[in-house]
Amino acid sequence: MKQLNSLDYIKNSYKARISQIAEERKTGKKIVGTFCLFVPDEIIFAAGSDRIILCGGKNETMSIAEQYLPRNICPLVKSSFGSIVNNSCSGVKSCSHFGMIDMIVAENTCDSKKKMYELLGDYVSTYVIDLPQRPDSSDALNYFLRELDKFKDAMEQLTGNKVTVEQLQKEITSLNETRQLLHRLYDLRKMDPPSINGVDVLKVMQKQYFLSPDQLKETLRMLIREVEQFKVDWVHKPRRMISGCPMPGGNTKVPEIIESKGGVIVAEESCTGTRSFWDLVDENKDPMLALAERYIKIPCSCMSPNNRRIDNILELAREFKVDGVVYYTLQFCHGYNIEKYKVQQALKKKGMPVLAIETDYSDSDIEQIELRVDAFMEMLS
Amino acid sequence: MISVGIYSGSATTKAVLINCNHIVAQVILPTAFDFLAASEKAYKNVLANSGIAEEDINIVSATGYGRNSIKFADGTISEITAHGMGVYYLYPDVNGIIDIGGQDSKVISVNDGKVTDFLMNDKCAAGTGKFLEYTARALEVPIEEFGLLALSSKKPASISSMCTVFAESEAISLRARGFKKEDIAAGLIESVSRRVAGMARQAGLKQNVAFVGGVAKNIGIKIALEKELGISLYVPPNPQITGALGAALINRELK
Repeated sequence: MKQLNSLDYIKNSYKARISQIAEERKTGKKIVGTFCLFVPDEIIFAAGSDRIILCGGKNETMSIAEQYLPRNICPLVKSSFGSIVNNSCSGVKSCSHFGMIDMIVAENTCDSKKKMYELLGDYVSTYVIDLPQRPDSSDALNYFLRELDKFKDAMEQLTGNKVTVEQLQKEITSLNETRQLLHRLYDLRKMDPPSINGVDVLKVMQKQYFLSPDQLKETLRMLIREVEQFKVDWVHKPRRMISGCPMPGGNTKVPEIIESKGGVIVAEESCTGTRSFWDLVDENKDPMLALAERYIKIPCSCMSPNNRRIDNILELAREFKVDGVVYYTLQFCHGYNIEKYKVQQALKKKGMPVLAIETDYSDSDIEQIELRVDAFMEMLS
Repeated sequence: MISVGIYSGSATTKAVLINCNHIVAQVILPTAFDFLAASEKAYKNVLANSGIAEEDINIVSATGYGRNSIKFADGTISEITAHGMGVYYLYPDVNGIIDIGGQDSKVISVNDGKVTDFLMNDKCAAGTGKFLEYTARALEVPIEEFGLLALSSKKPASISSMCTVFAESEAISLRARGFKKEDIAAGLIESVSRRVAGMARQAGLKQNVAFVGGVAKNIGIKIALEKELGISLYVPPNPQITGALGAALINRELK
């Protein structure tokens, strides 16, 4: 497939963003590092600070992390922690942003992250938002709203700026625009065959919380324009959806294998996919309440029960005309690994084939994954 | 139509030559270090055994872990699909396959030879031929006699380690504590069977299940699996060749 120019732009955006952040810091602007979709960007931007994502997708920092953390925990947690205490990725140049953070805004999601944040506090000031993990219980929304209010206060304290209703409304509108652009991009993937590969979309999604909202929107507009005009020869490709754990920057192993075998990924039910933008924030409500309502519904596997996620997966499979789901998990991610059972049951009931792949960030299992993907392709051909 | 299927496995390389749906010759060799060299040798030997000249071969298809290194093959197919076809040729009513090879174990659901679902364990040596090789060595028993030795046990030892390295030290410590050799062997075999039977149940394998791969030659494992699953298993006279056979059959269909 022909290389799209906007993808080059994304590829080269790292340096520009890093110098932008460095400039901002010189002027006294505070930079917040985040890990998770549950932290509302709207509040961070409304306080006049900037944000970059700290989720690690690289294997290089594992051994650094293992000086502090147990070996048998999630690779995402280890990679991130290693990068932060190392202020980079063990000499990997594309990682200097890990050392440019004034405050980490963390969240209580899974156990590994929660306990890692306790250790991180020794290196970078870390603020933790608590999450009610039974999102549909009667007090959950109010509790979460109070947590977001406290978070807003913390941001005001960090920046010295007041977070006004007007500012919040402006940021909500701005980030809803981003979400709508992402919906438009994903709509283009519903074509048969789509004119953009899943790996290319994933590389954009991995920068979603790294770029500034303006940079991201500009990139998305360019990309959508290009993809809309791009004509591909009509050859049906097997349509796959990836569902499961996040795939942070540096980690595209499984999608690359799937697409190298002739399949095309048409959707990712993932934090680096639909979970990040699917629902919009209601612009007609009190902004803090609207934020609480929107964010608490993110169907992360740390939530219980999490039927919302299963319904969403079934809906995505239908909408994107998926003909096989790859259930992707990271080793030791108990939430998504255990939820696999229910998701598989629900998909199989609808006649949807599922291939489960559990992996880490190393290259040691590429052959084994290729074999599974080959067999899955042959099974469905 | 004459075709050859070559299975390049981690422990052994197999080649099967078929002519009009009939098996003419088959070869099993140790893979050793060089996957390609082993495949070339297997190919040469299967030709020699069949008495058919290389220029009369229509298609060579490769499968197994080293399938992509077999440069002289016309095409490749995953061993999961290949096993499905090969076992179906031998047992047309089969709807489940348990394959325990040198470095992984697989359970495959099949319908008329076509794979409908599969599960694999390859992250860890537990439940593989390697596990048996290592632990047989710890007991100083030749691998060929391991199954029979286990069958003579009246009181199998309980082995709790899933990890091959730890199971080996567990076996050694049981020896030091005076356990009988056959009881330790039976315990090790039970531990492999429980793990593989768990996968088979997960994949919903119930009736008409075949047991293939090098480990199917171990009578102890076969009996332990049958007991664990409550069914009797089909074991082909030569359980190592079903993958190579399937590869030969499938590419015959493709071209």
